[in-house]
Amino acid sequence: MIYLDNAATTYPKPRAVITAVDQSFARYGANPGRSDHALAIASSEQIYKCREILCDFFGADSPEQVCFTVNCTAAVNTLFKGLLKSGDHVVISSLEHNAVRRPLQKLMNLGVDVSVVRVDEHDPLNCVGGFEKAIRGNTRLIFCMHASNVLGVQLPCAEIGAMARRHGIPFGVDTAQSAGYIPVNMKEMNIDYLCVSGHKGLYGPMGTGALIVRGDCPDSLAEGGTGSASVSPYMPDILPDRLESGTVNTPGICGLYAGVKWVMSVGLNNIMRHDMDIVRYIYANLAKIPNIVLYTDEPNIVTHVPLLSFNFDSCDSQRAAAFYNDSGIAVRAGLHCTPMAHNQIGTLQSGTVRICPSYFTTSREAEMFVNKTRIISKKI
Amino acid sequence: MENFTVTVSSVTFAIRGRDILRKKGIRAKIDRLHSPNDINGCGYRLTIYGDPAAARRLLAGAGIRFRETGAASK
Repeated sequence: MIYLDNAATTYPKPRAVITAVDQSFARYGANPGRSDHALAIASSEQIYKCREILCDFFGADSPEQVCFTVNCTAAVNTLFKGLLKSGDHVVISSLEHNAVRRPLQKLMNLGVDVSVVRVDEHDPLNCVGGFEKAIRGNTRLIFCMHASNVLGVQLPCAEIGAMARRHGIPFGVDTAQSAGYIPVNMKEMNIDYLCVSGHKGLYGPMGTGALIVRGDCPDSLAEGGTGSASVSPYMPDILPDRLESGTVNTPGICGLYAGVKWVMSVGLNNIMRHDMDIVRYIYANLAKIPNIVLYTDEPNIVTHVPLLSFNFDSCDSQRAAAFYNDSGIAVRAGLHCTPMAHNQIGTLQSGTVRICPSYFTTSREAEMFVNKTRIISKKI
Repeated sequence: MENFTVTVSSVTFAIRGRDILRKKGIRAKIDRLHSPNDINGCGYRLTIYGDPAAARRLLAGAGIRFRETGAASK
């Protein structure tokens, strides 16, 4: 199979990740942070190592700011629901995923107000003014994705962060589609809250993610055992314990650690260039096929992450994806859980076909994809 | 060499504290505690082998909240 659905989750995972998960059951099988025997301490050490590497990788201040979640969506929910109260106002972009839109919709019913700033898919870096104009006296948070999971465009998070800092407003970023491709430094980019997916560009296992908290600590979303301050009926006021109730996913976190180490060893620049070369090759060839519709300018490493949405002009994306599947090619069709972006580009009915390579995708596979696309375009 | 103990409320603080001390040449050992009086239920003890004043300064400087629980048994 040619797997081009890496924006949903990277596949395959590096061998080091598979080995780390496998070995975690034997080497770190005890519950971390709960018991005082050697195996439990060893397990805790592994969890801490992953906090430490994520802290360094994302330029946070301290490992305890790294709070593990089950995915990026859980990180976003924890942030929004722990921070925002009735009467607060939030500014987001027009390209946000349902991980952002849906929790905010629920909070809107509880009295939180939301402004949406249009990010032009042909000029994505030119949106900082829009975010600034949307600020009100009660703006509690500016939040946006770092890169669009539908269009691949990057948002200018460093510039938005600087603007937010000038106004004294906390800034949160969803890095689900950028982590592992674009360097993120929370300190330098004035990011107070970072939502992380472990299983995409960081090549970790599914079921891993993190909320990294540099700003005010959100209230807990779920309460329960933390292995600390157990007499108290309340959640501890320290991180990460406040936001981590119940046993963490040790095998997943061991795999995530191995994934981040692997990404660091290959190098973000090398991964970005490899994957972008493939996307640019595909874009250039798809642009020559008459009945294919592309939705962005030609991607490059400054303005995009390596993913691409397109359609055959007379065909629903789901039907097109079925043609690819019949040929042994895995692509993603539909709305990609992001109707806001599809509404903007007029594809709410059809969805789009999305392709996203990984570091393991070869140029030969890209050629085969293009050849198959030519054949499908004649059938449709 | 002097040794003394401090308690911290989480394993994360315990490991981070140990590593910070270790980087400055001060050895520390981690144990888990269950002591409703000292630490509101469960927490961790760092047994620190080295200059108490330097260790206190390093831990406090790193934002690690700890409670000093005295000299450790030798």
